Amino acid sequence: MAYDLELTGVEKVYDNGTMAVRNFDLQVEKGEFISFVGPSGCGKTTTLRMIAGFESITSGEIQIRGRRINELPAEQRPTSTIFQNYALFPHMTVRQNIEYGLSVKGFKAAQRREKAEGIMAKLELLEVADRRHDVLSGGQRQRIALARGLAVEPDILLLDEPLGSLDANLRKSIQNELKLLQRNLGITFIFVTHAQSEALVLSDRVVVMNRGEVEQISPPYELYTRPKTSFVAQFIGRNTNIPGTIKDRDGDIVVVDTIYGALRGFLTDGALEDGAQVIAVVPSEAIDVHPDSIDREELVGRYQGNVVEGQVRAAYVVGHTVFNAIELSDGREVNIESHIEKYRNVFETGTSRVHLTWLPNEATVIGKG
Amino acid sequence: MENRPALRSALAIYTMLFIGFLYAPFVVLGILSFQSGPEGGPQFPIIEWSTYWYEHIFGLTPPSRVAPLPIGEALVRSMTLAFVTMVTSTVLGTMTAQAFRRRFKGSGFVFYLVVLGMIVPGVLVGLGIALVANDLSIARAWWGTAFVTHVLYTFPFAFLVMLAIFNRFDKSIEEAAWSLGVPPIRTFRKVTFPLIFPGILSSMLFAFTLSYDEFPRTLFAAGADLTLPLAIYGTFSVEIHPNIFAFGVLTTLFSFSLLAVYGVLMAASVRSAKKIAIQEDIE
Repeated sequence: MAYDLELTGVEKVYDNGTMAVRNFDLQVEKGEFISFVGPSGCGKTTTLRMIAGFESITSGEIQIRGRRINELPAEQRPTSTIFQNYALFPHMTVRQNIEYGLSVKGFKAAQRREKAEGIMAKLELLEVADRRHDVLSGGQRQRIALARGLAVEPDILLLDEPLGSLDANLRKSIQNELKLLQRNLGITFIFVTHAQSEALVLSDRVVVMNRGEVEQISPPYELYTRPKTSFVAQFIGRNTNIPGTIKDRDGDIVVVDTIYGALRGFLTDGALEDGAQVIAVVPSEAIDVHPDSIDREELVGRYQGNVVEGQVRAAYVVGHTVFNAIELSDGREVNIESHIEKYRNVFETGTSRVHLTWLPNEATVIGKG
Repeated sequence: MENRPALRSALAIYTMLFIGFLYAPFVVLGILSFQSGPEGGPQFPIIEWSTYWYEHIFGLTPPSRVAPLPIGEALVRSMTLAFVTMVTSTVLGTMTAQAFRRRFKGSGFVFYLVVLGMIVPGVLVGLGIALVANDLSIARAWWGTAFVTHVLYTFPFAFLVMLAIFNRFDKSIEEAAWSLGVPPIRTFRKVTFPLIFPGILSSMLFAFTLSYDEFPRTLFAAGADLTLPLAIYGTFSVEIHPNIFAFGVLTTLFSFSLLAVYGVLMAASVRSAKKIAIQEDIE
């Protein structure tokens, strides 16, 4: 069974010699929700546009359901694209916009109407069907764009920052709608965004890109808990990165020599040998804060050595989360989010001297690069 | 501005003078065109108000010592030439502007080459065309050599208008159409064209009016059969009668009616595509 979408060694070099995308490999199963995420200029949109057929492919191959589409013009590809600015046809009503693709595909008026009404009903657009879309809200217009793209029943829906023009609240609600819609339809979505939180919420798998290269392709949970590169670690999570060298190992857990002492973490890349320069990535919410009244030796035992001393500089309570800034022995300040229950005994003792701890498995050790 | 009355009145006077200089000649011609005939001349005072010279143009007056304006055929020629020039230049201008939507090798050079047509002095172009036509033994004619010069002259205007329109055109609207399965040519007809139509109208208006009263380029390139501006000029060399003024008023009215048609078409196309061509960015 062929993949719904397969990119093999896809590259894009612009006429001026800029390499926009380098050696992009990806296999997508039918019905997957995939996000491309990364800072602007990382090549995510270029890749999407190569899949859509708006941009030529310099080298490599793109297949949809086992069929090579490199040479197919955009209008013959089984994809449709949703744009950030909606790109609705200004001279057509909502209904005409949605029916237009169907009329080109040769559907008769009655069929077109039926299909369009079906999709409009799903997206709650029936009451505005015969209105001009330029009087409608951003959210409605984006739903019209979705309806128009889905009406032609593409194998793959490509979405280019579709929520980028919406305000935060609307964004949330359309996110949910989008996810539900995708589940119900069961078609593959490729979603480009620069907002990592959006990618993590929506996707089955996230492709993190940086400077034209794929940094990591993983499900959100794995991406968050086991970043493979330092770029991913700083782009995706609120992490504390501690540099050091590998000293010793026990299976996947390695001991890293750092300025805060020997710390343990999970090594994702088994190829890294002892003595290698690495970074221990500790997610902010994995860190527990203990008052100095607790015996350090006891913590060392409980957290297998992952104990670092610090001084609380600031702590704010927002709902059930405590945001605190803690200064480490070398003057560096780290930001930690703690659950209020866990932080209670620090407040109660009134101390500012604390121990920071985390379990070896919660920290990820990655190569320095 | 509000609290600088001196500057305000200075600007007001300047504006009035400007408008005065712009329209005074036309107003004077307009008044003189109602001079009595055939004995009344092209100067004040008005002997008696009459529409004699208008009737004279249409041959409705008894024969007199003033010969009828030799404009009948010239008018038809100029109209035909302006119309064909308009169509040709607008089509070429639109196509060229479409090509310039993407950068291509040497696009900067080609751009200046195209725009050169409106910068080079008209008399030189006309003379050049005439010389080349002579060398190549091509007979000069208003429908041949003059037509070529007119296109050469009006095409850059049409091109620049369309370039400005395309600059503000949201390409993703076309890409959306392609991605729905609409082939490029159909996309152009059904999506792009309706949205750039106001621009097309503008470049048609430019091309038509520029060609219709083109003089220096046509002077050498037109050959034996004259266009309207040349024919009118020809009558100056004999003696000037107010019939020229009457005719000036009529052609001006014709130009205004063209503008009116343009306005009506524009309003209609704006109404049918309210947010023309550009969907404003919603940030």
